[in-house]
Amino acid sequence: MRKVSESVEEMLLDYLDGNLTKADKEKVEKNIQEIPAWQVRFDELRSVNSALAEAKLEQPSKNFTASVMSRLNQYQAPRTFSLWNSVLLLAGVLVAIGITTVLLSGGLYDNSNTSIDLNQIAIPKQIVKTPLPSFEFSGKIVVNIIIILNLAIAWIVLDRAILKPFFQRRMQAGH
Amino acid sequence: MTNDPEHSRIERILAGEQHLYAEVVDKYKSYAYTIAQKILQSRPDAEEATQDAFIKAFNHLNGFNKQSKFSTWLYRIVFNTAISHKRKNKQQFQSLENTFVEYRGEGEGMLEKTDRKKFLNLAMAKLNEADRTALTLFYLEEFSLEEIAEITGMQANTAKVRIHRARLRLADELKNILNKEALTL
Repeated sequence: MRKVSESVEEMLLDYLDGNLTKADKEKVEKNIQEIPAWQVRFDELRSVNSALAEAKLEQPSKNFTASVMSRLNQYQAPRTFSLWNSVLLLAGVLVAIGITTVLLSGGLYDNSNTSIDLNQIAIPKQIVKTPLPSFEFSGKIVVNIIIILNLAIAWIVLDRAILKPFFQRRMQAGH
Repeated sequence: MTNDPEHSRIERILAGEQHLYAEVVDKYKSYAYTIAQKILQSRPDAEEATQDAFIKAFNHLNGFNKQSKFSTWLYRIVFNTAISHKRKNKQQFQSLENTFVEYRGEGEGMLEKTDRKKFLNLAMAKLNEADRTALTLFYLEEFSLEEIAEITGMQANTAKVRIHRARLRLADELKNILNKEALTL
């Protein structure tokens, strides 16, 4: 017997789900009665449909809730920072930025330059044929980068741990 | 933000009323356990995975952003936890061909019904976890297609097609199983 096409199968499933218009429904019913391939596939799908429709909710053990509640305190996830800890962290970062900025403006890092010469690394001469470059580092630039990174951290802490929870609480209080 | 009545209870739990979580567990445990059971097909494993999922959900309650229904968020955690358990179990000993399908007889009078349930479970075992869970949720008639897609990690626009195809595949698998049964008689 010839198999029905995919579109017919889709239509049969929509029929079983009650998703067809009145006209389509009548057309499907007529075809099921008249075309043996439609009838065979419809019976198979109807059988699956009714078996699935019989599926019921499964129930866990009777002491399920008590077990979960007793396990709650054993597996506390690492908590996010409390508000107080966040304020302390933010204050620490800001103090570090302040101290570094004062030292920087006082000229402490003006003469702290260094360079990294890649030729000092022991690499066999067969591999490296031309001399490797050396990099100059200005202490002032490095400290400036560190200050910028600290400012970014301070902003993230302020946003995530202080501002966001604050505005969320205000929004919830307004509802 | 959805208008989920569960949100106020979650707020109270987050504010320190931990005992209220027992009400949440009671309310959602059956669906959660059913999802885990469909994926793991073993009662003890499903029980353990569901408990783990509830604990995970409790510990990440802060992260629930209230943009979706609480139940959808929770069942997504259950689905992922059960999938992780399945992978762990698979690494230990399992192959799909030898999947153990739990079957409990329910008396002589129920023979036809339990046979159908047994064959359906065997056929269901041939589907992948997402399709199996999606089909179960679809027939429990509690969730929209969008919610089913969210729980099972499917694309929302393909959920209906996936459920249709899973039913077609199930019908074919059921036919194969019944043919084999008939040959052994």
